[in-house]
Amino acid sequence: MESVIEVIDLKKRFKGFTLDIPELKIPKGFATALIGENGAGKTTLLNCIAGVRLNYKGHIRYFEKWQDEERDREENGVREQIGYVGSGLYFLPQWDIGQIEKLSGLLFQNFHPERYRELCRELAIVSGETSGKKVSELSDGNRMKLMLAAVFARDTSLLALDEPASPLDPVMRERLCEMIREYLDQGNGERSVLFSTHNISDMENVTDYAVIVEQGRVAEQGFVEDLKEKYVLVKGETSAVEAARPALYSISESRYGFEGLCLSENLDRLAGLSVSLERPSLFQISVAVMKRNSQIKRGNKA
Amino acid sequence: MILLQNSGEPIYRQIADQLKEDILTGKLKQGEYLPSIRSLAKDLKISVITTMKAYELLEAEGLVCAAQGKGFLVNAQDSEMLKEQHIRRVESSLLEAISAAKIAGMTDGELEEMLRTLLTMEDV
Repeated sequence: MESVIEVIDLKKRFKGFTLDIPELKIPKGFATALIGENGAGKTTLLNCIAGVRLNYKGHIRYFEKWQDEERDREENGVREQIGYVGSGLYFLPQWDIGQIEKLSGLLFQNFHPERYRELCRELAIVSGETSGKKVSELSDGNRMKLMLAAVFARDTSLLALDEPASPLDPVMRERLCEMIREYLDQGNGERSVLFSTHNISDMENVTDYAVIVEQGRVAEQGFVEDLKEKYVLVKGETSAVEAARPALYSISESRYGFEGLCLSENLDRLAGLSVSLERPSLFQISVAVMKRNSQIKRGNKA
Repeated sequence: MILLQNSGEPIYRQIADQLKEDILTGKLKQGEYLPSIRSLAKDLKISVITTMKAYELLEAEGLVCAAQGKGFLVNAQDSEMLKEQHIRRVESSLLEAISAAKIAGMTDGELEEMLRTLLTMEDV
C-alpha cells in the first residue's frame, strides 16, 4: 500500500502534553479519519502534516517523495498539492467573499474562481450574487462552508481538514461526505483525504482508514473493515458478566445486562457463555479504544 | 442495488452478493469491468474500503479478477460451476422451506403435495 504521508519520530512538546508518533502512514487514495478525545493531539498532528505548524521534531514525508524541508520550497509544489481547512478561522473577518476569491487566486495557481463561485452558490453560503458579504457576517456553519469552497475549488492531491463536520448541519455533513467521495473518485487513486472528527457516526460512511489518537499517541489504527473484524461487539445478560469480563477489551454494564468489545482472537474465551455477537460500528470501536486508553493513563483498571 | 444498514449483514457482503447475482445471471458478462471502487463508493454513498472489500470477496470466489491498474474484470464463468451455484441455491431454499414446514407441523406428504401443486402452476 502506498502512503500519501509518512510520519517518522514526530514529537511536539507542550506544557503537560507531548505528541509522540514513532511511525504513522496515511494510505494514498483513501479517506482517513483522525479520531480522539479533546486534547488528544489531533489538531497538532494535522497542523504538522499540513505544514501549518513547523516547530516539531521528527520528519514528515509527502507523496513518497518530499521531506519536510523540501515541502516549503515553492518549486516542489508540495504546498500547492495540499488543501488545508483549520478549526480556527484563517480568513480575516473583514474580508468578503469576493476578496477571498482574489486572494486564493494569488496564493494558489491551481485555484479555479468559477468553481469557487459555483460552490459558494451550491453550498448556499450566500443567497444570490452577494460577493460583498463579509466573513464576520457569516455563521460558524457558513464560515466552514466558505473554507471548504475555497479548498475544493483547487486541484490538490491531499486535503487536510480539521473538524470539518462539527459546525455543519446534518444535510451539509451529508454533502461534505459526498464531496469527499467525488474528490477521491476524480483522483482515481491519486487523491487522499485526512480529516479529524468527533462526528464519527456521520462520517463513518466516508471513512476508509481510522487513526485513533489518545494522549498524544496513536492508540489504534487500521482500515475500518479490518477493525470491524478485529473487534466483536458482545452483549449478554448480567448473569454472564463476571465470566465474560476477563475476556473483554471494554465493558459497560446496566441493570439489564452488559455490552462490550472483545478482540476476535479472544472470542474462544467466551465459549459456553450465552452472549450475542455483533459487528461493531466505527463509533463503538472508537469510544472503547478512547475510554480504555484514557483509563490506563489515569492509572485505573481498564 | 439495495443496501440495508441494519440487516446485520455487512455492507461489503451485501454488495458482493448482489454483484454475484448479476454475474451468475449473466447481467454482468465475461470480460466486462466492474465499476471502479471509488465511483461505486460514490454512487452507493459508502466508503471506498467497503467496495474494495466486496470486490476482494468476489475475487476470492473466482468470479472476478483484478487487472493491474485497470480495475476488476468479470471472469469467464464455467457453465458447470454456474449450474452448481444455482443448484446450491435451490438446495438452501428447499431446506428453508422444510424447516418452515416443520414449524407449521406439516407432514412430509403434505409438503410434497404442496411442491407438486406449485410446480403445476404457471409463472413460477
